[in-house]
Amino acid sequence: MEPKVIFPLLKRIIPVAAIILIVIWLYQVYGALDYTIKNLPEFFRLVLEHFFLVIVSMATAGSVGVGLGIIMTRKGFDRFGSAIMVLVNIWQSIPSLGVIALAYGFLPLLGLSGIGVVPALIALFFHAVAPIVRNTYAGIQSVSKDVIEAATGMGMTPNQILFRIEIPNALPVIMGGIRTATAIIVGSAPLACLIGGGGLGFWIFTGIALMDMGILMAGAVPVALIAMFFDTLLARLERIVVSAGIQTEEYQAA
Amino acid sequence: MGTMLSLQEVTKIYPGAEHIKAVDSLSFDLEEGEICTMVGPSGCGKTTAMKMVNRLIPITSGKILIDGQNISRLDTIELRRSIGYVIQNIGLFPNMTIGENIATIPKLKGWDHDQIAEKVEGLLEIINLPPSEYIDRYPKELSGGQQQRIGVARAMAADPPIMLMDEPFGAIDPINREHLQDEFLKIQEKVNKTIVFVTHDIDEAIKMGDKICLLKDGKLVQFASPEELLTEPANEFVRDFVGGDRTLKRLNLLKVKAAMCPDPPVIMKDESPEKAKSMLNELKADHLIVVDNEKRLMGYVDQEALTKKADEVGDIMRSTDAFLPASSSLKDGLSEIFTHDVGYIIVVDEDKKVLGVLREDGIKEILRK
Ligand SMILES: Nc1ncnc2c1ncn2[C@@H]1O[C@H](COP(=O)(O)OP(=O)(O)O)[C@@H](O)[C@H]1O
Ligand SMILES: [Mg+2]
Repeated sequence: MEPKVIFPLLKRIIPVAAIILIVIWLYQVYGALDYTIKNLPEFFRLVLEHFFLVIVSMATAGSVGVGLGIIMTRKGFDRFGSAIMVLVNIWQSIPSLGVIALAYGFLPLLGLSGIGVVPALIALFFHAVAPIVRNTYAGIQSVSKDVIEAATGMGMTPNQILFRIEIPNALPVIMGGIRTATAIIVGSAPLACLIGGGGLGFWIFTGIALMDMGILMAGAVPVALIAMFFDTLLARLERIVVSAGIQTEEYQAA
Repeated sequence: MGTMLSLQEVTKIYPGAEHIKAVDSLSFDLEEGEICTMVGPSGCGKTTAMKMVNRLIPITSGKILIDGQNISRLDTIELRRSIGYVIQNIGLFPNMTIGENIATIPKLKGWDHDQIAEKVEGLLEIINLPPSEYIDRYPKELSGGQQQRIGVARAMAADPPIMLMDEPFGAIDPINREHLQDEFLKIQEKVNKTIVFVTHDIDEAIKMGDKICLLKDGKLVQFASPEELLTEPANEFVRDFVGGDRTLKRLNLLKVKAAMCPDPPVIMKDESPEKAKSMLNELKADHLIVVDNEKRLMGYVDQEALTKKADEVGDIMRSTDAFLPASSSLKDGLSEIFTHDVGYIIVVDEDKKVLGVLREDGIKEILRK
């Protein structure tokens, strides 16, 4: 094989191999593997719960965030755009634990339970929606004014401009927001168990409470792998949905 | 040929800037197939006037008629789809291929697939970008000049009778700009659109326009053909704007054909030298132009050449490269006269048939007008 072919291949294989080795090593050293095998049914349940938390909060934050971001760029609403952006930025600076605590504290005031899966989902949703709103808004705003003027002058309707021009050209930025949001959700999801939301956080916090590294690793390592899984998935998705005309060289090659 | 575009007392006052009229009762008519270049100092209202035609800017008072119809009665989207629009910064859609960019409006208009494909390929041929090579490429892969050609093709895709172009070649380097101008004029000969062409460059306005609309502070200063603008500037402002080299600009604008003297002394190549001698004496000329039986330029003979013995003048004639096509500018004509130092230049058509001769005094006479 040519060095040209081998080199990129190595670049891909080395990180994957390294991750696998580290995982095996962590599992071995701390005895996480034994613990997982002994509690296999519970392991699967926690993984499922974790996926459920991530996917449901992603889907809601994604649709609401993109929708809100788009509305903020529409005629008539654009006046509020920058004000909302300030709120969004402040909101995003609240740490994950704070959002979870807010859900726990506030929901009972509205007559809802602060404990369980729903409050956990609500907390994750609110935490993840900010970067999506921000990036959708910024992405659409950044589409060149000349491009919009040409489209308008040619006789495209506002909806045609939105769906054929603005969204496709803002997509890399919107996808960036979704990836950030996913990282936040995957990172915060373990905290959900603090308010009874379930997921792999249960083993992590059990491990911490019992000062048992084995249990902690049995929860933490899958969480890290799930984070990588979602990031890779979204990177792939991005390459499919973003037009080759606006992809940068590096991720065409990736 | 009727009036295609008519502006009648069109005025624009921007909200928030009530004390100035960005465009002030502008009126003019354009015939079908005419290019009107709109020119004037920056801020004189060119862009504003142009954008009122496709209603990107709402009109304050007055009316605009297209083909006799008041545009305020038409559906905005339909109106815009029937008007080609080209802007200085091009504005190609980066997410679409060249082909998709050009196909945008035909697609929205619901043309069928084959019809669109044929149109897109045809347009790419016209702008000299081979379809097989360019149709699937993206705007970012093209040079500025190529992108603007695509911009023009996209604007023409749905066969709009009218085109609006706002400084379309303004951001292109001078060499490519000249090339694009020439190419565009050639395309226009084929497509015969009615065009409003905004520019701040008087040379471009003179070159591209059948009519020039010269604006100042939103008001029409002069609406005239390029030749008229150069020979009869309406006032001091126009004179200054056109510049001190008006005569040189006219040399550039006028064609050799307009200044040549037709019916030059010619002789068929199979005539006898004796005949040539008697013709020279009779006409009191120095040379005779030798042509074949289809009047194509072969060479020339003078007294000296005729001293040689021969049966036909064709055998003793001298060849010449002191000729030029009738469509050349007078500037080129004058330059040729000086280069060859012969006092006159033979004017030919595309088939090299002799049409006349161009002399210095012919040029002087037409410039005196
Ligand atoms: N959106 C606007 N709001 C207020 N004034 C404007 C606006 N656009 C242009 N103008 C003013 O209208 C005048 C004409 O502008 P424009 O048509 O862009 O001139 P040109 O294209 O000839 O440079 C200028 O005085 C400019 O400042
Ligand atoms: Mg302008």
